[in-house]
Amino acid sequence: MTARSETQLRPGLWETVNARYPGSMISNDDVVTLAPLARPVSQCRLTFVSSAGVQPRGTLPFDVVHPVGDYTFRRVPSQARPDDLEIHQLKYPTDGALRDLNVIFPITRLQELVADGVVGSLAPSFYSFIGYNMDPQLLERTLAEDIADAVVADAAEIALLAPA
Amino acid sequence: MSLPYLKDAVAAGDRDTLLRYVRLHLGDGDEDVGRREIDKAWVQALVPLLDLPQVDRAFVLDTLATKDHATLAHLFFSLHFHLVRQSGEWIHDGTL
Repeated sequence: MTARSETQLRPGLWETVNARYPGSMISNDDVVTLAPLARPVSQCRLTFVSSAGVQPRGTLPFDVVHPVGDYTFRRVPSQARPDDLEIHQLKYPTDGALRDLNVIFPITRLQELVADGVVGSLAPSFYSFIGYNMDPQLLERTLAEDIADAVVADAAEIALLAPA
Repeated sequence: MSLPYLKDAVAAGDRDTLLRYVRLHLGDGDEDVGRREIDKAWVQALVPLLDLPQVDRAFVLDTLATKDHATLAHLFFSLHFHLVRQSGEWIHDGTL
């Protein structure tokens, strides 16, 4: 474990998780410097990236039974209503999110922030995947890179990232 | 467990590590729960057959004969979750 990881994690978490899932805790010393905003948030286009397994109804469900994970993502139209969306994920409690999707995927709140002028606009798509993935290198090489490319193509200036 | 850890276990013939991983996966992080879930799925598979209902063996045989090993392995995991869900004792927090 690196010194940086030590400072980023809750004390004892590394040992606890490794005892339960040996080999699951990895460190990555690559650092990508955060890009400074070129203009106020109220003028920026925002996208949202989530590991909550949220997807438009009728799209191929995330592969939640696969023993090493699903490395695909779904585009979620940023103007969608919560009723247009569903969750496919086994590994976190979804009771609250099924009552109000915004607790895990705050799409309505973000739409409201745009309407109130707090955020400039929303990118056409948000992005969602499932966090149960056992190959961190594949996750980084494919899923993360693909989502990053899509976010750039959407000309998003702010990416709000939210783990489930 | 990370995938490299599991592949090392495969290379070393470390079956216990692989089994532990399967139980952790099926038990949402609790190995003992995973054992019980596996048992639950087998009971769910056994009970519907006790009265010798007619089954679509042609479908089963065709699937086994024509689908690749990875697809069949995925089907095995899919059936596990399908059967435990049918049992009415769904321990998982989320949805399939």
